[in-house]
Amino acid sequence: MKPIYIFLLVMTSLVFSCDVDEVVDPNNPSLASVLNDASIAELQVLVTGLEARSRVYYTNATQMFGSFGREVWAYFGSDPRFQNDWLGLVRTETYPDFFASAGTYVNPYLAVKQANILIESVGNSSAVTAEQAAGMTGFAKTIKGYQLLWPLMQQYQNGIRVDVEDPLNPGETLGYDAALAAIRSILDEGMSDLQAAGGSFAFDLTAGYAGFNSPDGMMEVNRAIAARAALYAEDYNGALTALSNSFMDLDVDEDSREKMYVGPAHVYGEAPDINNPLFYPLNASTSTILIVHPSMIEDALPGDARVDAKFFERDEPVNNSNIVDSNGDNIPGEYQDARYATNTDPIPFIRNEELILIYAEAQLMTSNPGEAEDAINIIRNTWGLADYSGGSSMDELMEEILFQRRYSLWAEGGHRWIDLRRTDRLNDTYVDLRDGGNIFTQVSRRTSEINWDLDN
Amino acid sequence: MPMKKIYFLSMILFMLLSFSQLLAQDLRVSGTVTEESTGEALAGVNVIIQGTTTGTITDIQGNYSLEVPRGSTLLFSFVGYLTQSVVVQQQTTVDVELKQDVTNLEEVVISGLASTVKRTNLANAVATVNSEQLRGTTTQQTLDNALYGKIPGVNMNANGGAPGGGINVQLRGISTLGAGSSQPLYIIDGVYLDNSAIRNGRTQVSGASGGQSTATQDNASNRIADLNPDDIENIEVLKGPSAAAIYGTRANAGVIIITTKKGSTGKPKIRLNQDIGFAEGQNFVGFDDWNPDKITAYYGTGETGQAELQKYNEALAEGRVADWEEEIYGETGMLYNTQLSITGGNEQTTYFISGSLQDEEGIIQRTGFQRYSIRANIEQKLWEKVKLNVNTNYIQSESDRGFTGNQNNTGGSMGYTLAYTPSYADLFPDEQGNYPNNSYFNDNPLAIRDLADNNFTVNRFITSFGLNYDIFQTTNSFLRFNMSGGVDYLTSESLVYFPEILQHQQAQANPGDVMWGKSNNFNSNIQGFLVFNTMFGEFTSTTQAGMVKLHQNSEFILNRGRGLAGGQTNLQWAKVVSVQEQTNREVSDLGIVFQEELNWGEKIIATLGIRFDKSTLNFQQNEFYAFPKASVAVNLHNFDFFDSGLISQLKLRAAYGETGGLPLFGNTFESLTPQLIGGGLGGQVGTRGVDPDLVPETAAEIEVGADIALFDGALSLEATYYNKKVNDLILDLIPAESTGILAIATNAADLENKGIELGLSGTPIRSQNFEWFSQLLWWKNESEITRLNIPTFTTGGFGPSLGSYLIAEGYSPTTIIGTPSGTEIPGGFTVYGDRQADFDMSFFNSFRFLKNFEFSFLLHWKKGGDNINLSSLLWDDGGNTPGWDEDADNNDTPDGLDRLLEWAGGNTGVYIQESSYVKLREIGLYYNVPANVTDNFLNGAFTSIKFGVSGNNILLYTPYESYDPEVSNFGNQPISSNIEVTPYPSSRRYFFHIALEF
Repeated sequence: MKPIYIFLLVMTSLVFSCDVDEVVDPNNPSLASVLNDASIAELQVLVTGLEARSRVYYTNATQMFGSFGREVWAYFGSDPRFQNDWLGLVRTETYPDFFASAGTYVNPYLAVKQANILIESVGNSSAVTAEQAAGMTGFAKTIKGYQLLWPLMQQYQNGIRVDVEDPLNPGETLGYDAALAAIRSILDEGMSDLQAAGGSFAFDLTAGYAGFNSPDGMMEVNRAIAARAALYAEDYNGALTALSNSFMDLDVDEDSREKMYVGPAHVYGEAPDINNPLFYPLNASTSTILIVHPSMIEDALPGDARVDAKFFERDEPVNNSNIVDSNGDNIPGEYQDARYATNTDPIPFIRNEELILIYAEAQLMTSNPGEAEDAINIIRNTWGLADYSGGSSMDELMEEILFQRRYSLWAEGGHRWIDLRRTDRLNDTYVDLRDGGNIFTQVSRRTSEINWDLDN
Repeated sequence: MPMKKIYFLSMILFMLLSFSQLLAQDLRVSGTVTEESTGEALAGVNVIIQGTTTGTITDIQGNYSLEVPRGSTLLFSFVGYLTQSVVVQQQTTVDVELKQDVTNLEEVVISGLASTVKRTNLANAVATVNSEQLRGTTTQQTLDNALYGKIPGVNMNANGGAPGGGINVQLRGISTLGAGSSQPLYIIDGVYLDNSAIRNGRTQVSGASGGQSTATQDNASNRIADLNPDDIENIEVLKGPSAAAIYGTRANAGVIIITTKKGSTGKPKIRLNQDIGFAEGQNFVGFDDWNPDKITAYYGTGETGQAELQKYNEALAEGRVADWEEEIYGETGMLYNTQLSITGGNEQTTYFISGSLQDEEGIIQRTGFQRYSIRANIEQKLWEKVKLNVNTNYIQSESDRGFTGNQNNTGGSMGYTLAYTPSYADLFPDEQGNYPNNSYFNDNPLAIRDLADNNFTVNRFITSFGLNYDIFQTTNSFLRFNMSGGVDYLTSESLVYFPEILQHQQAQANPGDVMWGKSNNFNSNIQGFLVFNTMFGEFTSTTQAGMVKLHQNSEFILNRGRGLAGGQTNLQWAKVVSVQEQTNREVSDLGIVFQEELNWGEKIIATLGIRFDKSTLNFQQNEFYAFPKASVAVNLHNFDFFDSGLISQLKLRAAYGETGGLPLFGNTFESLTPQLIGGGLGGQVGTRGVDPDLVPETAAEIEVGADIALFDGALSLEATYYNKKVNDLILDLIPAESTGILAIATNAADLENKGIELGLSGTPIRSQNFEWFSQLLWWKNESEITRLNIPTFTTGGFGPSLGSYLIAEGYSPTTIIGTPSGTEIPGGFTVYGDRQADFDMSFFNSFRFLKNFEFSFLLHWKKGGDNINLSSLLWDDGGNTPGWDEDADNNDTPDGLDRLLEWAGGNTGVYIQESSYVKLREIGLYYNVPANVTDNFLNGAFTSIKFGVSGNNILLYTPYESYDPEVSNFGNQPISSNIEVTPYPSSRRYFFHIALEF
């Protein structure tokens, strides 16, 4: 063949196409595919995604808020900031983008985003009936309201944004009270959607929602969350009303302790699912472990069954060179979390025991100390303690409720820190500072939020 | 108008005709060409009639003979020698002596995609490194290593000392802030090379993640490491857009063009090189001594302190107080490198075939790097006018990089663990091989060293072809078609393995963790060009037009197994198996190129060019973006008015060009990400948003300079100033995080890089017995963000409290900031430094003496720049910093603790340290066995025998308080480099060489 033909052949083949074939994401479905007339199967994917997004905050809430309130110490040897920063060993204030604090800020907002996309997709879908749609949006709003509580708990008086649908045009930051009110109204909207959702959902939830995976069941979850929000808002009547429509069950005693754990749960599994983040094998030789704050052991009442159920004394204590007493001696970490038998155990995120304690507090605050004391005794008796025998003043009963909350809700998302703060007790009388640290009231606003406000 | 055109055309016609008139009066000229200093005949010298393509070459005796028109000029040119011109009037014998081109004025440099230009006519400062400069002094492990200090304007920073490479190369400062490639585009024999760092999942297995950086901490090396430096003939570095514009949309970070060796005509020549050497740790920190006082200072006098004292006394009694640095990093690694090459050919065919074996051990047991490479470069004349060349290269490389660097909660880094491990820790295995638990950290570093695997294997084919077709040729014009292209097919396999018996695995629910990675990466590119060259009068015009296509396809998968059966790594023996990551990528680029070069009698050389590019990485995938260029070089010494005197060359040059930078793959998609929960598969809304107005980054550079040669080229100076502006930098706009969108890639900033590059080289002494060549290079770069239309932000590293980088208008993107919060600078932190050097300088000298000895060395000084040294922080935290329990300020608190508390109190500056250094990069001494000895040895079996000794990185001076100021925990990053977390210490290497030729 003459070279000229090779040349012509090649040239034509080269010049022939002046276009490139468009490339679409070869790895994932596009967001547009769910936003434009999603099928029920596609909406299911978003619902499950919402469940996945909505469990992430729990680790950080338990570890960091838990450290703030000295329920736990993070003996995490790989980064001294788990002690220095979280315990405020050398600082009295946090700073923007505070160390390892995104878990209770960014992650819950990712769940909020997911809920908003789900709501939008449902609205754009012709595949669902009105009842089915209401079931989906009711669930989405319930979770959205719950998730918003976490950044608010972290930010406290800094307030948070609630209107976050448009990434380039977010709503203004609401103060603590306004944000709490907005969250409660989102929960209320979710409630009314659920009321219009018919008898069953058009989607599946994981086993974590067993018993609650219907509009009726989800309404009970919604009201349980509403009760917690009402308590934080100091709307005690509102809390009682919400409780009455929740899954609260006061009929619990020593023989039916498992009823205390009734409530929706975050579920965990083996990879590619994620493991229960609070599970540590007993007695593991490690320098990374969440340690029970020694005051929990020291302050416990004799015979309290919660102590054995939750705290495990290690054969070999662990050490962390940053956690030292006033003499500069290391404080050995002697007790670890005993609650979870495996790394796939579920964790209830709001449960009957908390509802009973909310009930006690709301009754006390609405001038029914007798009802409050009865509720306290349900808790005490369940865990093998005799009836409450202390004083019956409002203050004394409040102390008792906080004491019971401390043991009942230990390491379940940092209740202690939040409880002491909302009852004006966040000081060294209530927080054991043997580690020489400081107590933070809230975490600094995040850099992205500050910058956004500066630039817009 | 038409009248004018016709007039112009007839002018050209007239000129052409007058040329052919001259041809009528021919004269036969013959002569001999010899080497000036030795008088030896030179074969293969090109003899050409100036202004034509007519010519011949000298034969083996240096003779030539040619028909020459009267009054024309004969040009005598030969690689490595200065071109000479002789005007032919009446003489029929023209003998010529050629002088060596000491300063490479005559070298030919690639100027377009299908044409070359002589260095003297170049309008840019294009650096060239030849094989002698690359490998002449010593043996480097990887190609990029061998470039250190040899090119002004190139800043290189090794990510650590682990075997198998990993070097960040930045040409003329930062060109991108995170979109696009921060590394130069590498092209070898026309093939676009895959230089990615392929993930191995070590980040997940050792838990090293977190902080502000999304970069992985796999400690993977970039795959330029696969190339065998010995195969390389030369490397051209197009440092900025003014030189690289013709490469368009992928050239923002510069282009490095590698040409491998070609065959040469003649009988087969066989070369065998054998290097044997060893490596040892370059610089140890010298951990603090643990004694009873120190133990009390660190642990207190309480229960824990008492218990530690007891452990110390036990260790003392059992004689196992150890120097852990020596124990772990103290190995002497053996280095072997064998190179065999055969070259030869005839008029029709030439070939270069090489094979190489490189086997290098690290300074940590069970670490090392091996590379096997086979190459065949063949060039064949198919027909009189058609030449084809095919270069093929198969490479297998394997590295065991061990476990160093960052980790979290696993102990899966020896360096990190050592920071917390006192000298008296009980870590040595018992007789049964059981490793005791490390009570000071999550794992026993000796067990990690001896039992865990971190292996990476690459199998790679790089094949290129080139086809040249001389479509027509007249006495003063030619039209040529050039087509070239090739494939780079790279497959990799990685294994990261923590056996179930390790301490930290026992502390997990499913002990035993294995991560298997596999990837297939396929790059293919093809280009076709027409080149038209014509001469009229004193002008030469070279026009080229063509099209370029690039396709990249890669598949990557990481599989993880946990809960392993004893000693098993097969995924079938894992209780829990999951896909950690599967990523497929597909990219297509297309470019159209025009270039016109006009040369006026070597006096003024002007070039204009433009490239139109599209790429599927752009948001608008089928839109063309234009990248123009223009340049002019003025050779004042070629003008008649120029009285040469002592100045033999004086060139002024100016060049302008634009290049592009593409968004990263995936940044133009809004997608869902999968997450399993409780048996259900959820789709999570991604955290990345999309900006529909996104366009590629564009860098525009103006470069001006002067090249001056004195005393017949014995001394030359090259001076260049550049101003490179990168516009429309793609940055992630970070919306308020509460919106759930954490990043939107957008054109958010402009960046300016200004710099100066100076090169002074010469041959101060040149005699029969002694020759001294010396080269001094000096360069500096300054960067500044001149526009930023998104909020100021910090990026890289582990967050401001541990030091990170500031992206703010008016600041360099390499600015290091940290806590405390301040109000003086945007973003509200405190500035502590800049990782960019004030300047770099290198000093190369080579001496030839006593006829057969060669000695050379290369010194490199980096002045200024800072690192974020988190190793120091960890050592202070673990009590291991040298002098930890001294008390310089007499405040009864050990200095180590003082520093840690000052940092914890909000002063990040404590651990930000100056990273200046002076390194003796290369040094070598060689002896060439004299010809009379080789002639008699084994009946003259060898034509050449050479012995030598050499070393690299033998000396290091630095104020930096760790192993090596060159370090990057996050690998090759545009910004967040120079962050240290207990890396693999770098090593010093010594070699013995023998080279035989027969």
